[in-house]
Amino acid sequence: MRAEYVTSNIAIAEGAMASGLKFFAGYPITPTSDILEYLAEELPKRGGVVIQLEDEIASINAVIGASWAGAKAMTATSSPGYSLMVEALSFAIITETPLVVVYVMRAGPSTGVPTRSCQYDVFQVRYGSHGNYELPVLVPWSAQEAFDLTVKAFNVSEMLRVPTVILSDAMLAHTWEKVIIRNPSELKIISRRKPEVPPQEYMPFKPGEDLVPPMACFGDGYKVMVESLTHDERGYYSPTTEVQERMIRRLVEKVRRNSRLIIDYETYFTSSAEYIFFAYGSTARSVYALVKELRREGIRAGLYRPKALWPFDEGGLKKIASEAKRVFVVENNVGLMYKEVAQVLRDKEVISVGIIDLDVPSPDRIKEVISEWL
Amino acid sequence: MVVSKQVHPLDKYVRVDRLPHLWCPGCGIGIVMSAMLRAIGRRIGEGVFKEEDIVVVGGIGCTARMPLYLNFDTVHAIHGRAVPFAVGVKLANPKLKVIVVGGDGDIAGIGGNHLMHAARRNMDITVIMVNNMVYAMTGGQLAPTTPTGLYTTTTPRGNPEKPINVVKLVASLGANYVARASVTHPALIETYVYRALGKEGFTFVEVLSTCPEVFGRHIGIKDAVQLFMELREKVKVKAKPSLNESYYDWESGFVIGEYVDKDDPGYLRMFGLLR
Amino acid sequence: MRREIIIAGRGGQGILLLGHVIGVAAAKFSNYYVTGTESYSAETRGGDSKAEIIVADSAEELGYMKVREADVAVFMYGDQLVKYSRLVKQGAVVFADSTFVTEVPEEGWVLKLAPYTKIAETELGTPRVANMVALGHLVGVTKLLSTEAVEKAIEHVVKKSWVELNKKAFRRGLGLASN
Repeated sequence: MRAEYVTSNIAIAEGAMASGLKFFAGYPITPTSDILEYLAEELPKRGGVVIQLEDEIASINAVIGASWAGAKAMTATSSPGYSLMVEALSFAIITETPLVVVYVMRAGPSTGVPTRSCQYDVFQVRYGSHGNYELPVLVPWSAQEAFDLTVKAFNVSEMLRVPTVILSDAMLAHTWEKVIIRNPSELKIISRRKPEVPPQEYMPFKPGEDLVPPMACFGDGYKVMVESLTHDERGYYSPTTEVQERMIRRLVEKVRRNSRLIIDYETYFTSSAEYIFFAYGSTARSVYALVKELRREGIRAGLYRPKALWPFDEGGLKKIASEAKRVFVVENNVGLMYKEVAQVLRDKEVISVGIIDLDVPSPDRIKEVISEWL
Repeated sequence: MVVSKQVHPLDKYVRVDRLPHLWCPGCGIGIVMSAMLRAIGRRIGEGVFKEEDIVVVGGIGCTARMPLYLNFDTVHAIHGRAVPFAVGVKLANPKLKVIVVGGDGDIAGIGGNHLMHAARRNMDITVIMVNNMVYAMTGGQLAPTTPTGLYTTTTPRGNPEKPINVVKLVASLGANYVARASVTHPALIETYVYRALGKEGFTFVEVLSTCPEVFGRHIGIKDAVQLFMELREKVKVKAKPSLNESYYDWESGFVIGEYVDKDDPGYLRMFGLLR
Repeated sequence: MRREIIIAGRGGQGILLLGHVIGVAAAKFSNYYVTGTESYSAETRGGDSKAEIIVADSAEELGYMKVREADVAVFMYGDQLVKYSRLVKQGAVVFADSTFVTEVPEEGWVLKLAPYTKIAETELGTPRVANMVALGHLVGVTKLLSTEAVEKAIEHVVKKSWVELNKKAFRRGLGLASN
C-alpha cells in the first residue's frame, strides 16, 4: 500500500495493474492518452504488453483477442474513440469476453472541445452497440474511487464474462488527488472460472448456475470456437429463434441476476431528507458541497450517488427517495439520466437540473437553478 | 464382421460434425483449406508448434467461415478485424501459432488498414488471403480486388476503379514473407503456407481462387471447371519472381511465386518478447 | 480542516510545479487528502497559469474540486492577481511576488509581500526557483505543511540535478516568514 498524488487516469492504470492487467492496446486520444503512456512505461516491468495500435477499432479487437489468449486486458479511450469501438464491444458481448474499457467523456458532439469535460455519453456508453444486452458501467467521482472501481470492473468482467466500462470524464482525468494504491495481496482479485471438465466434454458457452460459462482460453487444449454469429452451447452457429432467444435472455439475465455484484451507491444526509439530489461522477462532488451548504442553511437536502450507472439501481433509488418531497437530477448535460430516474420514481416530482459546463457544474450554478424549487 | 471406415487423413484437423460446409460447388476455398491443413500437419510433425497452440482467426466472408470447420482454437470475428484480433492473441501469448484466413474484402478492403500496419510491424502472424475478386457472400458486389471494367452488382456499367495489388502493398511494408498462389496449383499453396508457418515476422500468402457462383456469373463463365481452366490459363508459375512481375490484371494474367522471403526480426523480437 | 489554495501567475513561473509540490507534500508525505486542478493557456511562456489545491482531513470533505473561496493565495504576477482576486476570500493569507506585483487592491487580506523573483535571481542565481522561495514563505507563515514533507516532495517531484537548488530556495523562503 502506498499513497500517491495522481490523476484519475493514473489511478485507473494503477488499479488495472493491481488487478493483474497483462495486455493493453490503445490509440492516443485526449484526454486519455496518459493511460496509454503510463502503462507503456510501467506494465512491461510487471510482465505485461502494451501496444499503440493503428486506431481504436484495432485496439478493442486486439484486447478481445488477448483476453481469449488468457490475459486480463484493457483499452482506454474518450468519446469519439468509443464511437469507433462499439461494433467490437458487441462482439465481446456475444462471445462473453472479459475485458475492461476506460471511457473518459469529453465535450462533443464530434471533435467538440477535446480537453474539456461533460457527461453527455451516459446513454451512448450503455446503448451504443447493436444488439440487446446488458453492459456494466461504473462511474467514479474521485481518483481514489477510479482506482477502486477499476479493480471492481476487472472483477465484474471476469466473474460475469462481460465487457465492463469505467466511465470517467475530462475533469476527473485532469484532477490530481491523493490515492491509496493497494498491492494485489491487499485486494480481492477475481479471475475467470476455468472449465472443470475434460476437453471432450467441454462446451464453451454452456453456463454454470450463475448463468456464466467457465472459460477455456487458447492454448488450454479445449479447441474453443469463438463465434460472432448467434451460437449454441458448443459455439456453433444456430440461426433459430429458439437458440437466439436462449442466448439473448442469458446474456441479459447473467448481468441482471448478478447485479448485486455490480450495483453500489453512497448516500449523504439522506435520512429524513426532504430533497434528494441524484448525481454521479464529477458532478456529484459539486452536489455534495451544495447539499452540505443547504444543510447548514437548515434545508433538509441529501445526496444519492450511484457508483454503477448501469445496470440502473432501481431498488436503491426507490428506497432512498421514498420519503422525499422532490428529487433533483443534476448532471453535466441537458438531462439524460433524469429520464431513467423519472421512470423509476413515477410517483415523485423529479426535476432535471441539466447544466452545461466544460469543467463541472459549480455548486453556485446548481443552487441558482434549484433555488426556485426549494 | 470387421467394418472398416474410411477416414480422410486431414479429418483430425476438422470438426467433421459440422460438415457439410456452406461453400458452393466449385468454390476454391476447400482447396485452400486442405492445402493449409497439410502444411500445418507437416509443421506439427516437425515439432515447430503443437496442435493445441494453433489459433485460426477469420473475420466475415466466405473464407472467414473456414475456422468454423477447423478443429483448433478458432475464431469467427467481425468483418475486417481478424488481423487486430490475431495481433492481440499473439502478443498476449507468444507461444501460440496464430493464422488469419480471410477473403480479399475482409483482409484488404474493410481490414486494409490493419493489414498494412501488421505488415509494417512485421507482426508474427500468418495471413492467408483467398482472393476471389468479388464480394461473394453478400451476393456479388465490388471488391477492392475486382479487375477494372468487370461487371458487379454495384458497378453495373463496369468497374471504373483500379484494383489493389495486395502482394505489392504488403511487400512494400516490409513483411518477411509474401507469396501469391492459386487454387489451380494446390501443391504450391501448401508449399507457400508451409514456408510462411516456419518463419518469424509477418508472413502473407495470397491465393487466387475461383468463385463460379458469383464471380463466374459476372464474367459469363458459370461452369466451375471452365472457370478453373480459365484461371489456370492466366496463371504463370515462377520460383522467385520480382515485385515488378506482381502486376495484378485479369487480362494479362498473374504470376504466382514467392515474392519476398527474408529474415528481418519480427515484432516480438523487436519488442523483447522473444528470448 | 479544509483549506483552499490558489496559485496563479504567468506561464514559465513554475506555477504548476509549485502546486504539484504542495499536492505531493500534503498527499504523499503528510496525512492529508488533496484535490488539485491546473489550468494554463496554450502558450508555454507568458500566458495564464493557475493551480488550485484543496487540502482536507478527510476525502469527503474535499467536495467540489475547484477553488471558490481561497484561504491561501500566491500571486506571482499582477495580471493574475487582478483576474483571480474574486476567488480569494476575505481574511485570506495572500502571498505576492513584489518583483512583479506593484499594486494590491484592498480586499481585507492578510498580505505577505516579498520579491521572490529578485531574491531567486540575485541570491540563488536564477529566477527559475522564485516559485520555491514563494513556497517557503507560504509554508513558513501558514504552517500548513511540515518542512520535512515539503523537502521530501521536492525530492520526489523535481529533476535530480535541480533538487538542491530548489531546496535551498525553499529554505530561503522559510526565512522570509520569520522577518
